[in-house]
Order: sequence, then C-alpha cells, then structure tokens
Amino acid sequence: MFKKIYAWLDERLGFDDLYKGLLDRPEPHGNWWNTLGSASLFLFIMQGATGIFLTVYYTPSPDHAYDSIQYIMDGVAFGWLIRGIHHWGASLMVLVVFIHMLRTFFSASYKYPRELTWIVGSLLFLLTLGMGFTGYLLPFNQRAYWATVVATNIGGVVPGVGPFILRAMRGGTDVSALTLSRFFSAHIWMLPAALAALIGAHLYLIMRLGESAYPDADD
Amino acid sequence: MNDEHKKKVNKKYEEQLQKGERFWPDAIYKDLLVSFALFILLIGLATFVGVHQEPKVDPTDSSYIPRPEWYFLFLFEFLKYFPGELEWVGAAVIPGVLVAALMFLPLYDKNPYRHNSKRIFAVGLMSAIVSGIVTLTLMAATIMSDLVAVILGILVAALMFFSLYKEVPFLKGSIRKIVLWVMTIAILGIVGVSYQQTAAMASDEEEVHVASSIAEKMILGQDLYSIQCVECHGPDGEGGEIVGVDGIEDGTFVKSISSKDEMYTRNDGSLFDITAYGQPNLGMPPFGGAYGGELSPSEIEYIVTFMRYTWDDRAEVPAEAAASAIPTLAEGEVPSYEVHVSAVVKRQCLSCHREGKENNDYLMDTYAEILDGGINAPNVVAGDLDSILLQTIQGTELTGSDGEIIHVMPPNGKPIKDAYIDIFIRWVEAGMPETADEAAALSTEAMPAEEDAPVTEETPSE
Repeated sequence: MFKKIYAWLDERLGFDDLYKGLLDRPEPHGNWWNTLGSASLFLFIMQGATGIFLTVYYTPSPDHAYDSIQYIMDGVAFGWLIRGIHHWGASLMVLVVFIHMLRTFFSASYKYPRELTWIVGSLLFLLTLGMGFTGYLLPFNQRAYWATVVATNIGGVVPGVGPFILRAMRGGTDVSALTLSRFFSAHIWMLPAALAALIGAHLYLIMRLGESAYPDADD
Repeated sequence: MNDEHKKKVNKKYEEQLQKGERFWPDAIYKDLLVSFALFILLIGLATFVGVHQEPKVDPTDSSYIPRPEWYFLFLFEFLKYFPGELEWVGAAVIPGVLVAALMFLPLYDKNPYRHNSKRIFAVGLMSAIVSGIVTLTLMAATIMSDLVAVILGILVAALMFFSLYKEVPFLKGSIRKIVLWVMTIAILGIVGVSYQQTAAMASDEEEVHVASSIAEKMILGQDLYSIQCVECHGPDGEGGEIVGVDGIEDGTFVKSISSKDEMYTRNDGSLFDITAYGQPNLGMPPFGGAYGGELSPSEIEYIVTFMRYTWDDRAEVPAEAAASAIPTLAEGEVPSYEVHVSAVVKRQCLSCHREGKENNDYLMDTYAEILDGGINAPNVVAGDLDSILLQTIQGTELTGSDGEIIHVMPPNGKPIKDAYIDIFIRWVEAGMPETADEAAALSTEAMPAEEDAPVTEETPSE
C-alpha cells in the first residue's frame, strides 16, 4: 500500500530525481567550517518563523510598539521565548554569515567558477546587516530610537545625496511614526523578499557548481 | 584566466569529487548537528539571558548615549577617528569602497592560485581587516585598554587563520589542537571578564529601572506621585485648596482626582495626556519632558498605573502591590526612620521638602536632613514632644530663630492622619532610631516606660 502511494506520487513529483539531484550528490571532503552556510540558512528560517509569530501581536506605531512588545514578553504564552530567539538569532545570524564569508575568502572558494556565488553571497551579507539595522528600531525604546537617530544621521553626511538618503530613511526630517513604518515594512517585506530570492540563487549556484574543495599546495 | 587553466581546475575538481563524500548522508549530518547546536544555544540565550529591558522612547532626553547593535559598534568606533568635516570620509567613502571591494573581489582578484602560500597579500590584508574590526568592537564594547584590544584582535585573526590552515609548518598534530584550544579559551575568557566588568560599571552609573509588573509600576508611580503631585492634589488625590505652592495662586481650588467620577470617565490614555500636557487653563503645569516638565513617558505611565490601581474600585490590585503601603504600628512598637518615618515623609512631605522648592531649605530626603536640616535646626530632639517638627504637624504655629513664623504643616489646612502623627511622636519619644534593628532593640527595652504614649488609633478622625 505504502509503496503504491509512493510510486503514484513519485511518478508525478519525481522523488527519485529530487533525491539524485539534491541529496545524493558527490562532493569533496569537507570539514566543520563547511557547515556555516547551511547554519546561516537555518538561522534565516528561524528568524522568519519567529518573526511571523511576532507580527501577530506587534503593532508598528509609536504609541503602541513598546506596549505591544511588553505584552508579547509578559502576556503571550511563550512570547518571551519567541522574542528571545528572534533577538539572539539576529546577532547569531550576523556572526555566522560573517564567519561563513571569511571561510570562503580564506579558502579562496570565490575563484573560478564560483565568482557569482560570492557576489550573491556578499549581497546576502549586506541584506543581513540591513535586517539587523531595520529590526533594531522596531521595539521603539530609548536604545532603539537614539541608535536610529544617530545611524540615520551618519547616512546624512554623505556629500551631495546625504540629505536625500536621510529623508528617504526617516520619511521626513525626524525619526517619527513614518520612520517606524518604513523600517517595519523593510524589515518584514522588502528585505526578506530580497533575501529569499538571493538565497535561492545562491543555492542554485552551489548545486550547479558543487561545493568547492579545500586548496592543496598545488592550487 | 585562460581556457587551459579553467580545464585544469575542472579536471582537478572532478578528481576530488571521485575521492570525496556524498552530500547525503556524509555532509548533511554535520550541517544538521551544527544547526541543532545553534537552536539549543538560541533557546538557552532566550531563557537564561533574555532580552534587556529598555525604557520607552523619550525624544527629549538628549543626554541618552546611543549604542548601536554590537555588530555595528566597530563602525561607530571607527567614525571617532574622523571628526567634523572629515566625517563623510569615515562614514561613506571608506565603508563604501570596502563594500565594493568585497563584493567585486572575484572580478579583480586575477591571482589564479588558491593556496594561502600563494596569496600572502590577500590573506594578510583580510587578516588585518578582521583583527581591526575585532579590536574596534572590543574598544567600543568594553573598558579594556586599547593595547589589550589590539592584541586580542590579532589573536582572533590568528586563531581563525590557524584553524583554517592545517599545514602550518610549526603547528602540527596534537600541539596544533592544544594551541588552538588554549587560544580560544583565553580569548573568550578575557573578553568575557572585561565585558562583565564593563556591564557592572555601567549598571553602577546610570541604570534606569524599568518596571515590568503592575506592582513595580505602582511602587515607582507612587514615589513619583508623592514628589510631583502631592503638593496640589494631596497624598490621596483628594485635592482641595492650594496653599503655598510655587507658581500657583493661594486659594486655587483643585477638584478630587481620585473620585469615582474621575476614575470612571477618564481612561489611562487621557490621564497620561493630562499629566504630560498639563491643564494650562486650570493652572496645572505640563509634566511631560517634551512640554517642559520633568517626567519621561515611562514615568508618567507609572503614575497613571498607580492612580488607576489605587483609586479605581474596578481595578484588581495584585497581591504583591498591596504590601507596599505604610506599615501600621503594633502597641508598644517603636517606629524607625527606615521603615515607617521615611515612608510617611515620602508620601506626605517630600513633594515640597526637596531640592528646588520653597521650603526654608528644610529638605527631608535623608535621616540627617530631617533631624538637622534647614535654618531652624534642630527640628527634632530625642524625647522632646515640643520639637518643631512635632508641633507644626499638630497644628501649632511657631516662631523661628530668625523671627519668621514657622507655618503649620501641611500648609493647606488639612492635617496629616493621626496615625501618621502618632508614628512621628513615638519615633521622637524613642530617640529617633534610624534602622529597623535599632527600633526593635528599643521596643523591648522601652516597653514599660511607654505607657503614656498614645496608641495607634484604629479609625483616624479627620
């Protein structure tokens, strides 16, 4: 019976091809440093899942953002755990992605034929930092507010386009309700969408080109 | 890069695949193991470290020292070297160039070799950048000396280097492993200790207490109410005629803010707004920091919580909050400054008798000030029931040493509760014990001699 169901599904979905293409791939001998890419993906998924739960109660308005997070921490069952994981997961993700990038650099894995994988990967790193930056404002407490004031100020010192960057980030001259909704929108829609698309491209490239081998003295 | 080289690379990769492993199950089990370890780590951090509580936004508090997330700290520290006119170089040009250099690295790095011995410049430069980032982060995040930060930065880069490259000639086999572990533990240890010291120092300096439970908010709110509001609204929000308040005409009438009417018709939002904006037409000044007052949004919220849970008969007061009331005295018990007097003073007197108010320089915020502060000291003498403090709160007007009249306290003609006056009297009789221990010692000794002391009245008459 089970075999029959499997055969029926396999005929239409192609499990065997998937298995051959995705899982049963040969690759060079790796070591523990090679696990950081998949760890980054895992952390992205964790951030996505906990983030979705947080949006159930979070309200992106200056009047309610702080209280809604207070409620998540005190009132919602396991809210403290979800927020705690999201909070620490952000730090951990930046760290893991950064070390993953350093590993790639030091093993020179970015060279032919994996140039594009590196370029996409460095965009992923920048987007991860962008997620950290936009997410930092959302609790709308003193720390978040003043850090965003200072950070957006820094954007404003660029000669020529500085004032434009400042206004685009803040949605006006000051950090306000508009800034919060902009950062919120960027944090839950724009950046994650870009991240997901680029992660897809990154994975496709890895599958097409294979994991790189560690260089030996002849390389 | 020529085709010949590409062919060579591809051929070699094929060979390495032949003697390699399978993604499933050889590699993926390591991936899953690491991801699972990270998952456990995250749950541990969320459970045992948690998320640090911060106060509400207060845009008027420009003295707040902003701190970015830790992974941007190095950039903040870096910017300090580009003050004034040059800020844009450190803020835009250098990071911009570095990001572009990072992103397009494969396009301009024409060196065909991959082994570290053949790309000494690239590896050296990246190691220097990494140790620079680590150094700057440590300098910004901890109070460790710059030299230690630099050494640690170099150590981290070296650790990464040695753990990635196995064929370093002078580090082989088990010695290599031991050296790596010692380095890791040393780095983590030093960073941990210095971070701890920094955190301890920071909490000494200016840790703002953030209340999370209703009970905590009520206690903080009551303290703030006593200082900011009691002058005009009275200790129980009963209002009445205002006498002797700076900036408000004597005889201005304030209606009760603790009545059922008031509590049922105003929600927390409107209480918050009134406190923040004031009621200029009725003489109430604004208290919100943004409008010229002294209070931050969190503090106003605490006051509102205190008002709601103390005066609104619909509110269910949490059990632990009820314990914060002023303790009553048992028969023969001697009150102490620590437990009883300071609590009464906080609720009844401190609103005016604090820095910056018109009070003949008589401040009441410490034990010593209560005894010997102001121009008419001593204000209380052990065992003397004619002490100035006791007389004024019992409705006797006195003449001070400078010939000025010392008014009856409180000045609005509404005497403080007899039970509170009793606390003061018994305290003076017993010789003004400061701590609870001193008072307890006096209680047992002085018990028989205290017959003529008035006992606590059950229902204070007003």
